[in-house]
Amino acid sequence: MSTLVLGARRRPGRRHGWRVELGRHRGLIVACAVFVALFVVVDAITPGAFSYFEIHFMSTGGATLALAAMGQTIVILTGGFDLSTGAVVSLVNVVLASAMGSSPLSEAGFFGVALAAGALVGAVNGFFVAFVRMQSIVVTLSTMFIVQGVTLLVMEKPGGTIAQGFASFFSGDAIPHLLPAPIVVLLVAALVWRLVKNSRFGVGLYAVGSDEEAAHAAGIRTGWVKFWAYVLAGLYYGAAGAFISAETGSGDPLVGQPMLLEVFAAVVLGGTLLGGGRGGCIGSIVGAYTLMIIVNILLVLNVSAYYSSVAEGVILLLAVLAASLNRQSPIAFYLRLARDKLAARARGALAAAHRGGAPAPALPAPARAGPGGAASWFARHGEALRTILPAYAGFVIVLGVSQAVFGGTLANPGYYNSLLVLCSFLAILALGQGAAILTGGLDLSVPWMIGFVGILTAGLIHGSDVVAIWAVPLGLALGTAIGAVNGLGIVLLGLPPIVMTLAMNGILEGAALIYSNGTPSGFASPAQRWFMTGHFLGPTPVVWFLVLFALAALLLLDRTVFGRRIYAVGNSTLVARLSAVGVGGTLIGVYALSGFCSALVGILLSGFSGQATLGMGDDYLLPSIAVVVVGGTLITGGRGHYLGMLGGVLLLTALSTLLAGTTLPNAMRDIIFGLVLLAAVLALRERKA
Amino acid sequence: MRWRAPLLVVGIAFGVIAVAHHAEAAGKKFKIFLSMSYIGNDWQAEAANMIKAMAASKQYRDKVNLEVKVAGPDAQRQIQQINAMVEEGAQAIVVYPISPTALNQVVKTACARHVVMIAYDSEITEPCAYNVHIDQLEAGRIPAEWLVKALHGKGNIVVITGVPGTSVDTERTAAAKKVFAKYPGIHIVAEGVGMWSQPVARTVLTKILTTHPWSSIDGLWMQVGCYTAASMEKEAGIPNDKLKPCAGEGSNGHRIQMLPVGDPAVAGAHGTYAPLGGPSISYASPPYSGALALKLAVEILEGRKVPKFTKLPLPIVTNATAKLCTKGTWQEMAHGCNVFQPAIISNPGWFASIYSPRTPEVGLQAALNGKPEQ
Repeated sequence: MSTLVLGARRRPGRRHGWRVELGRHRGLIVACAVFVALFVVVDAITPGAFSYFEIHFMSTGGATLALAAMGQTIVILTGGFDLSTGAVVSLVNVVLASAMGSSPLSEAGFFGVALAAGALVGAVNGFFVAFVRMQSIVVTLSTMFIVQGVTLLVMEKPGGTIAQGFASFFSGDAIPHLLPAPIVVLLVAALVWRLVKNSRFGVGLYAVGSDEEAAHAAGIRTGWVKFWAYVLAGLYYGAAGAFISAETGSGDPLVGQPMLLEVFAAVVLGGTLLGGGRGGCIGSIVGAYTLMIIVNILLVLNVSAYYSSVAEGVILLLAVLAASLNRQSPIAFYLRLARDKLAARARGALAAAHRGGAPAPALPAPARAGPGGAASWFARHGEALRTILPAYAGFVIVLGVSQAVFGGTLANPGYYNSLLVLCSFLAILALGQGAAILTGGLDLSVPWMIGFVGILTAGLIHGSDVVAIWAVPLGLALGTAIGAVNGLGIVLLGLPPIVMTLAMNGILEGAALIYSNGTPSGFASPAQRWFMTGHFLGPTPVVWFLVLFALAALLLLDRTVFGRRIYAVGNSTLVARLSAVGVGGTLIGVYALSGFCSALVGILLSGFSGQATLGMGDDYLLPSIAVVVVGGTLITGGRGHYLGMLGGVLLLTALSTLLAGTTLPNAMRDIIFGLVLLAAVLALRERKA
Repeated sequence: MRWRAPLLVVGIAFGVIAVAHHAEAAGKKFKIFLSMSYIGNDWQAEAANMIKAMAASKQYRDKVNLEVKVAGPDAQRQIQQINAMVEEGAQAIVVYPISPTALNQVVKTACARHVVMIAYDSEITEPCAYNVHIDQLEAGRIPAEWLVKALHGKGNIVVITGVPGTSVDTERTAAAKKVFAKYPGIHIVAEGVGMWSQPVARTVLTKILTTHPWSSIDGLWMQVGCYTAASMEKEAGIPNDKLKPCAGEGSNGHRIQMLPVGDPAVAGAHGTYAPLGGPSISYASPPYSGALALKLAVEILEGRKVPKFTKLPLPIVTNATAKLCTKGTWQEMAHGCNVFQPAIISNPGWFASIYSPRTPEVGLQAALNGKPEQ
């Protein structure tokens, strides 16, 4: 199907086979080039020649990520998104470590179990995405929680052993001193992918990802293609789990957790397009090893720990940039646009110069609403209501359960006050993250934007209300500016939002570490603390602020030009551009807004806990996405409402509050959380035929 | 054009090398690496500072060539890092292991190449590795027993755990629950995940308090968070003499709160980072363990016999034993002081258990700035 896509761009009369081939595999070729370049660097700076030992450990070190990234790639090719990757890897790891025997039969059998476990989770994901028509990000977020819970049920702490034979089969030598086993594993995985890709199903994968409607019209059973894509992805995750088990020789329920963001980075580095239709698993292998080699370079160079996250971020950006800089690149486009605009201004030919002559087409008078005005209001807002209401319905149910479990919560004003204080962080983040998602993007720089601004302002304020008067606005301005830098990178350099904001997150992490020298010593001023924990006319001051903020957010998204442009960009960048919407400016504004929101949360959080700590924003990334999506927003952009997001915030906060008040084991809480999330969005599913 | 961009990357990468690469002055010192996991918290920063101070002390600076590397919170990466260290010719590797089990294979390989592997604070279960840490079961049991005694065997308690899925958290929590189970009068009314972080403890406690008000809680057992809990009680208007007994962490803020109200020696107190006289017990996983591990690594390399497991005594401070340090030298701490002036330590989350009779090379300046004792 990628041939079709590229075929359309082919200029007539220049039909050289090799050129087409080159264009078709461009992402892969660039990924390989970057990898080779980095490899040369590593080789140059490593003392001594490259030994077999080094090749062996490097191939081992990247194999888990490569296998997991291959699975993720398959999902992304269909236009989906799988957050359950790391959780499945952990699950497989603990299952193998807790039950595998040391007989060859048991070892082989448990490799089957690993694949089956992965495929099973994949099938659940696939079922809900393909046949129940739910958004992949919510489904997989739910299964991530559920799988995490199950993992802790299987094994509550690190332990267990993997049979030696199993370990050396996957991570030992295939041919001693010549061929490491991990390379064979990856070759087999790549071969499986080649076979899949060249099958009918493989063609379907690309077709569904390129244009699902068209694929459906062409007679492809899109539902089944998606379903099997998730199952296949699950198989790869299972293999990744088996491999990491072999590599580590034991089980750890948290082993897969840090993989989540790395997997996406590997896929993008490998030249696969987020949103589907372009790319492939081979590139993702290269991407995974590129990431690993970056770490190696930093290790060899002994880059200070504080700078290594910065360096990783920058290298990630450069590597992706290398793939996108050419005459079609956005920066060239914007340079041309600016030139044209200047020329037009010089000639006085700008549209603005012809104000008087704007044609005003005669529109028919709007039909008067009949006597049933209320009904027509429902009719007009039916779609929005359908997406907004489920979150609120869920919230009401959780309130009811809380009342039933603890008694006396519904009539207790203190309960609502605490709930709203806890909601305030997510409600603010939801505006920024929601705006980014409405344009079809995502802001992954939230955690360290919160951390960096929180630590910086607390460090300046150091308990002084006087300093806070200028430090708080400074922090907000800084957050806005850094957010705008995210936007500039996305617009001018054409970087995928995920890559740009992920890299920014790393850079901000480094900045926070360098600023605080590893131990933030600042603390919030009395006024900041009063704002978050004191009382003003009854409730905590931040509750009043939250009401104002929510009203402002509603107005911003619903009633301003900027708000309408966000929706326009999210629905179709092309249509927006042709409709004279400043797409670039809108995107920069959106990410600046998200930076502002994160910075605000950083400042509020430091007031809430009295101090700012490293990692204080870590717990807010996934929830900030979850509340937006639970509130009925489409992850691909264009549809969503801030009221819905608020509902999502209320639901998730009330739910975690309910669970916190119990003595349920943590594993069960994860599972319940996942199930409720899944149930809450069941009502949001697409109803298209 | 297609190829120019990747070349640019290479060019830049080489530029980075030119700036960052500096030749290693290799003397006849032991080549020792420090492989840390996560640096993003106070405990890790203090531990790293103390290790660096130990390496810089006059007893060790001529013996040890220490290189510090950080893996981040990813076991895969630490495996890779340890491999690279072995390749670079490490004689000993001091490790803060991300996972007690995930490193086993690489540790085994390193041992086979005669590299001394020594883990601090957390453990490595591979038998060839050396371990330096406290007994986590004790760390759960002793504070729990104190709490039961403080409540006279009767009352509703809230339990705040650490990071679920880790050995340390699982063992501490299980040991504490075993104690509570022996007393039918003790009821755990709510259990929250605290992630060993004061801000998380506050979020969780806020959630718990919506359904279990302070009036229904008699005591708290927390892995980290007593400082936050006392602050929240003050915000709720609970007077000093009614503060709930809290069994918890060894942060400086918690220990300052344990001092008698109005202690005139305390300088720089503010808000709830002040002496409150709250009934408390403070235990700690001490951050000097890394510095001690480095010392032991040198001993092993010098051919002395060191046991595979060095069990650190559990630092315990109660209201009766909390004592303010004025300077924080090792000498002063040796005389029994265990909490530092808020004027010096402005961050209440900072870990105060930095004294060990076995590490006279490092004191407060080591933990703060990586400078050894004079």
